Amino acid sequence: MLRIATQKCCDQLPSRFLPFLSTKSGAAVATRRHQSTDDKVEVFVNDKPVYVKPGSTVLQACEIAGIQIPRFCYHDRLSVAGNCRMCLVEIEKSPKPQASCAMPVMKGMRIKPDSDVSKKAREGVMEFLLANHPLDCPICDQGGECDLQDQSMMFGSDRSRFLEHKRAVEDKNIGPLIKTIMTRCIQCTRCVRFADEVAGVSDLGTTGRGNDMQIGTYVEKMFKSEMSGNVIDICPVGALTSKPYAFTARPWETRKTETVDVMDAVGSNIVVSTRAGDVLRIIPRLHEDINEEWISDKTRFAYDGLKRQRLTQPMLRNKQGQLVTCLWEDALPFVAEKLSTTEGSKVAGIVGGFADAESLICLKDLLNHVDSEGLCTEELFITDGAGTDLRSNYLLNTTIAGVEEADLVLLIGTNPRFEAPLFNARLRKSWIHNELEVALVGSKVDLTYSYEHLGDSTTTLKQIADGTHPFSKRLKDAKNPMVVVGSEVFSREDAFGVHAAVSAIAQNATVTSQTNRGDGGADWKVLNILHKVASQVAALDLGYKPGVDHIRKNPPSLLFILGADGGAVTREDLPKDCCVVYIGSHGDVSAPFADVILPGAAYTEKPGTYVNTEGRAQQTQAAVSPPGSAREDWKIIRALSEISGMTLPYDDLEGVRSRMSEVSPNLTRYDAVESANYFKQAAELAKLAKPQLVSKPLQSSQLSLADFYMTDSISRASKTMAKCVKAANEGLTPDL
Amino acid sequence: MLASAKQMLSVLVRQNVRSIHKSAAVSSGAIFNHTDTPENNANTPFDFTPENYKRIDAIMANYPEGHKVAAVMPILDVAQRQHGWLPISAMNKVASVLEVPPMRVYEVATFYTMYNRNPVGKYHLQLCTTTPCMLCGSDAILKTIQDKLGIKVGETTKDKMFTLMEVECLGACVNAPMIQINDFYYEDLKPSDMEEILDDLKAGRTPRAGPRSGRFACEPLGGLTSLTETPTGPGFGVRDDL
Amino acid sequence: MSTAGRISQVMKGVPMKPVMSANPVEARRRVLTLYKQWYRATPKIIEKFQLPYTVEKVHNRIREEFMKNSHVRDVRAIDLLVIKGQMDLQETIKMWKQPCHIKSYFHQETAVEVPTDFLGKFFTQKH
Repeated sequence: MLRIATQKCCDQLPSRFLPFLSTKSGAAVATRRHQSTDDKVEVFVNDKPVYVKPGSTVLQACEIAGIQIPRFCYHDRLSVAGNCRMCLVEIEKSPKPQASCAMPVMKGMRIKPDSDVSKKAREGVMEFLLANHPLDCPICDQGGECDLQDQSMMFGSDRSRFLEHKRAVEDKNIGPLIKTIMTRCIQCTRCVRFADEVAGVSDLGTTGRGNDMQIGTYVEKMFKSEMSGNVIDICPVGALTSKPYAFTARPWETRKTETVDVMDAVGSNIVVSTRAGDVLRIIPRLHEDINEEWISDKTRFAYDGLKRQRLTQPMLRNKQGQLVTCLWEDALPFVAEKLSTTEGSKVAGIVGGFADAESLICLKDLLNHVDSEGLCTEELFITDGAGTDLRSNYLLNTTIAGVEEADLVLLIGTNPRFEAPLFNARLRKSWIHNELEVALVGSKVDLTYSYEHLGDSTTTLKQIADGTHPFSKRLKDAKNPMVVVGSEVFSREDAFGVHAAVSAIAQNATVTSQTNRGDGGADWKVLNILHKVASQVAALDLGYKPGVDHIRKNPPSLLFILGADGGAVTREDLPKDCCVVYIGSHGDVSAPFADVILPGAAYTEKPGTYVNTEGRAQQTQAAVSPPGSAREDWKIIRALSEISGMTLPYDDLEGVRSRMSEVSPNLTRYDAVESANYFKQAAELAKLAKPQLVSKPLQSSQLSLADFYMTDSISRASKTMAKCVKAANEGLTPDL
Repeated sequence: MLASAKQMLSVLVRQNVRSIHKSAAVSSGAIFNHTDTPENNANTPFDFTPENYKRIDAIMANYPEGHKVAAVMPILDVAQRQHGWLPISAMNKVASVLEVPPMRVYEVATFYTMYNRNPVGKYHLQLCTTTPCMLCGSDAILKTIQDKLGIKVGETTKDKMFTLMEVECLGACVNAPMIQINDFYYEDLKPSDMEEILDDLKAGRTPRAGPRSGRFACEPLGGLTSLTETPTGPGFGVRDDL
Repeated sequence: MSTAGRISQVMKGVPMKPVMSANPVEARRRVLTLYKQWYRATPKIIEKFQLPYTVEKVHNRIREEFMKNSHVRDVRAIDLLVIKGQMDLQETIKMWKQPCHIKSYFHQETAVEVPTDFLGKFFTQKH
């Protein structure tokens, strides 16, 4: 209870306090829970008293006092390097200015960030930094959002005394995503520390020394990380910039839309930069509980897939069997006619990974109106036992931020590194700073941290559930254990068996962890499902059936496919006379065999609700308008309902959303994690159904980096992602 | 007339100071990027000998658990001694022995100049040409070597026996001029000494290291000029009653 | 009711400083004068702006504009409207206005009706 109360109070603090609260040491996470004002140190910033936590740095103290110290190498989420010297400040009784990012506070310390000594020190450091920095701002992609540019205006001198040659450094080729202009590098080593600490791929380093020191990979190789794009954001100068975005736009020309990513089920917060109806780039937005300030490369670079393979006009299949473009006025009545003449039980719908909750509810309402129950999601889940009836059965109940409090994680049949890179980054963060231990049942993969591989057989699961496996002992001793099941497990024939075994493991661990912590009723949740697609949780919340089994058993004569491009249903699975209606944004897997194509909007083009794997509802915003005559998906269904004479009782976004909240109120409580419960009951229901396990090994389909880039219709349409796959498979080829 | 024009020109040139770089770019000349070559690539065969594995174990034992990475420098040295220089494959091998990412080894190997990341001959001649050695005649020594071996600074003889390098101060100024050949210092050199050393090396003999002037170490050539009297015994200058 | 009208109601009984006209009769005269000025200028306006309308049509349109304010009874408000009308007239005959400004008075006929129902909006607009 106390934990929740203090957590809440932390959440209410202004954002500039947040870096200070979420320092990376294990102790800091602990103190986040029990924070009191007594154990604080008084320091003076410009003679103004400030109270800070012991062990924090002078820079953080100044930040609390509202004074921003210039810095290049210091970054909240990386270790302290102290090598750029830009943050020098004068401290009373200290003979020389001190690097404030690395200087811990002491009681009664008098910090003078605005004194003449401090100012002169900054000016001097800036002069040295600029001595070797090229003056190519006009052709530099960082121009306008460059820390060096801004800080040299704020803190630098107006002229240089250096007449020497400037150093020049050879550019490196580190893959198709990151462009390097190493002459601009000021050796802050942020990228090196990011690669080492957050990405866990130590490909970057400093070679040479003195004036010749440079950042690079030494040997020419790709920076093989699924989060490599983040070095572009943390680079304070234009040394590392985005290759696909190169020479595209200046930051002040673009319109920025704060929205949410749907390339995985994590729901990273992003900013979409657009100009003249064109998505130019995607950058991360801070959300402490989801993605911190990182995003995966698929999130960041797959946006060029939004311009390729798009469905822009409605299409109808003619007598010759070809799809020809037509008008909405032709396509919709055709479908409406089919809908009103087809028997309800012969109508079905499949929804894919990019479907927003608005279109999900519209399709459900429409199909239910014609008495159809054939509403399926393409992604699979279990239907036996508690199935999707209990929300706790299909959520990442611990939450992503909750990983930081866990002490033991058991991963089952998943490769979080590629299925949910940001979740994996959290695991790695906790592994580094909180001594988190990880074990894996499934394919042996590189997770960027060390873990205990318990094999990939289902027998292991059974043994852990029985308590006969040595790992059970460790699970029993854990205070805050987590069990994470990958959604791929549910495509097995014994999905229910695996889920039941996992719930049993989780239920046992819940009981033992309560005694270990000694707090009895605390709400630590052990069972976690890690989904792969953005729409799944909302679809299950709204009552869709997981998997397409229903459709295989009851062959439909009218099938709606709402952006389902995973290939769960093919033309061969359907009766010959079945009319397939595809509603979606990309001509990928399903559109070619459809009889009618109704072009929909992609996630950057519509305001939509998505629920991430934790059960957190978030909304996307329209950054650009849909191409051609494409329309927002829910409006297509709404229009269809009116034409077929069963008008849905809402015609604007508010109406749809109020209908959504009637069905599942959590869908409109934006940014709140609606937690779920009834774990015990779910586990008991599973026991009643007597699930079976088969001996097929638990495997993950995304094993290496090359498998990560192209997984859905948007990333399959992306040229950048194709280049990444090629580079990851075959090594680098010189481009430019 | 002409002279005054020249003077004016020089004044003009001097005033236009910003367009003239007074100093050359400061660079060690070393290249801190690896480029694959036939003799130096990731597939260059390299593995430690069984004796060296034992040596590595002994070195690693010096470091406490959790800090084994600190052994990177001595192990790189072992690799260099075994192979003569450090190909990229040797650095990768060191990384795998220490269980660290290869980049961490590259960082160390590029930082220190004594790790030779390019092939060197059997005898690595490192001639000091810093001021004290230069004043004492290192130029003549350099010329002797170049004439005798037919190579210039930075080159290796065709038979892969000698590589000549000019280096900065090696800290033996009192015995200038001096040269370091592999692990040994040869000091107080005259051109004739240098020739003799090179002849010995060519013939497979190991010349005696140290000063060539007859000195034992760095004592004054003409005998001691101070502290010549017998050292005083214990109790000197101390109060009688103590 | 215009702002001036409201003020005059509040300040009932308090003598107001006239804008131009002292009484309604005088105000009416000013309005008629302006009306006549517009009428006389009409052929010139049509010629200068090369308007595709007949004199009669423009006259009717002018009359419509005047009739829009026929309910105004406040003398000060009438005066201000007259002043505005004079400014408008000056801008028109001195060709400070563009043809499009004049044509916009006759635009109602060509304006497309924007659909307000869901289906109509769906077929015509993206948002």
